[in-house]
Amino acid sequence: MKFLESSSGSALTVKVLESRITADVAASFKAGLVEYVKKGNRIIILDLGEVTFIDSSGLGALIGSLKAMGGNGELLLCSAHEAVINMFKLTRMDKVFRMFKSPEEAVSAIS
Amino acid sequence: MKVLLVDDDPVARAIHAMMLHAQGHEVVEAADGELAWQLVQETKITFVVSDWMMPNLAGVELCRKIRAANFEDYVYVILCTSKGAKSDLIEGMDAGADDFLVKPIGPEELRVKVRAGERVLTLQQGLADKNRELARINGQLQSAHKLVEEDLKAAAWMQQSLLPQPTQQAHGIECLWRLEPSGYIAGDIFNCFSMGEHETGFYLLDVCGHGVPAAMLSVTLSMVLTPEATYGSPLMALHPLTGKSEVLSPDDAVRELNRRFQSIDDRYFTIIYGLFDIRTSTVRFAQAGHPGPILIRKGAKPKTYGEGGMPVGLWPKIMFDCFDIPVQVGDRLLLYSDGVTECIDGTNMAFGEERLLSYLEERADVPLEDLLEDLILKLKNWRGKGECTDDISLLVLEVTAT
Repeated sequence: MKFLESSSGSALTVKVLESRITADVAASFKAGLVEYVKKGNRIIILDLGEVTFIDSSGLGALIGSLKAMGGNGELLLCSAHEAVINMFKLTRMDKVFRMFKSPEEAVSAIS
Repeated sequence: MKVLLVDDDPVARAIHAMMLHAQGHEVVEAADGELAWQLVQETKITFVVSDWMMPNLAGVELCRKIRAANFEDYVYVILCTSKGAKSDLIEGMDAGADDFLVKPIGPEELRVKVRAGERVLTLQQGLADKNRELARINGQLQSAHKLVEEDLKAAAWMQQSLLPQPTQQAHGIECLWRLEPSGYIAGDIFNCFSMGEHETGFYLLDVCGHGVPAAMLSVTLSMVLTPEATYGSPLMALHPLTGKSEVLSPDDAVRELNRRFQSIDDRYFTIIYGLFDIRTSTVRFAQAGHPGPILIRKGAKPKTYGEGGMPVGLWPKIMFDCFDIPVQVGDRLLLYSDGVTECIDGTNMAFGEERLLSYLEERADVPLEDLLEDLILKLKNWRGKGECTDDISLLVLEVTAT
């Protein structure tokens, strides 16, 4: 799983360079995110601009990564496509993850 | 190394044999090609230095025979030609010679050419050993794979046996279903059963992920999700005063399920659970992260109900909502897993909810059995040659009495 990182202040922005987060990449997706958490990143903005689809395993990996933060940090999402937003609404994950239209909006929300 | 030296000229043979001896090789001699051919077959010698022009069998013919025999171990052949005699090197290479020496042969020249050949043979041997090892491992993998496949087939059979009867009837409800697992076994499972005297419960659930881990959880859940589960059904509760077993409201039942099935490894499931009460002609649903039910009523557009809800198993102590759908005789309710709407075509385009709804609208009058069969076919066509990456399950309930 490829990510593109950039940091802005206390937040790390991670862009997911994969169009579909499904069962076959879920494990490496989570491993990548958990690695950022282990490195001490407490606020991670996940840019889903390239992601057109997340399946249930992908969502599981995302929640697993959030749990890995142990309540001591935040995982924010931005630039999600409509299909992804609908999936988050159906599963009420839009109540668990703060979602923003763009990375800039996410950055200004936390600063 | 053992070298077979072939030459009909005894003097030349003796000189070359001496050189090879001096260079540390063991030498086997043959006076013509025919004798050499016998020795190659009998002694499994893998290095031949042969003269070209010989009676009985010429060097180039010997070379051809060796290549045609296709011995298990590669035989390295150096052909010797006489200076001035215009031997056809192309013919020699065609016959399969690895290298050439021009007579008279100096000791140094013989040494480097034999050493080069020895290196090739060593590499060849290494490759052959690796290939044999790979073939052995491949054989083991194949038998392991066969074993796993047989286990999966048995598991699939057991899972199928947990599904409802082809046409199962309960109080005022007839149910029909289709399950198309992405592999042998599915993470999707569903059922329909009578509860008490007036109610019918039915659910469809989808464990995230696929394969064995998902299927094990789905099978466990199907054992628990019946009104008469051995260790206390999560769908029932004892009344605090009368002590009688009572049917729980779907939202409370799902909350109880969530309490019991907290995930330890990001594994969760989505479920839609409905309870039809023939006295009130109402279906009460709890929806946990699962696509909402679709009501198909004659003369009306099919409509999706429900506003979502969190999946089961992620966090303890979460509440689930429920909603009611009043139904009448002839109404159909379709429960499905996201494998239906997320089924993608060759261009990664999802089948989607809208396409599903308009399909159902077109087929409002088709008998239930055909509706399901055609929908599965439509999804298969949609997918085309693409891989089936998720389980597809459909459960339709038709209201037969209110």
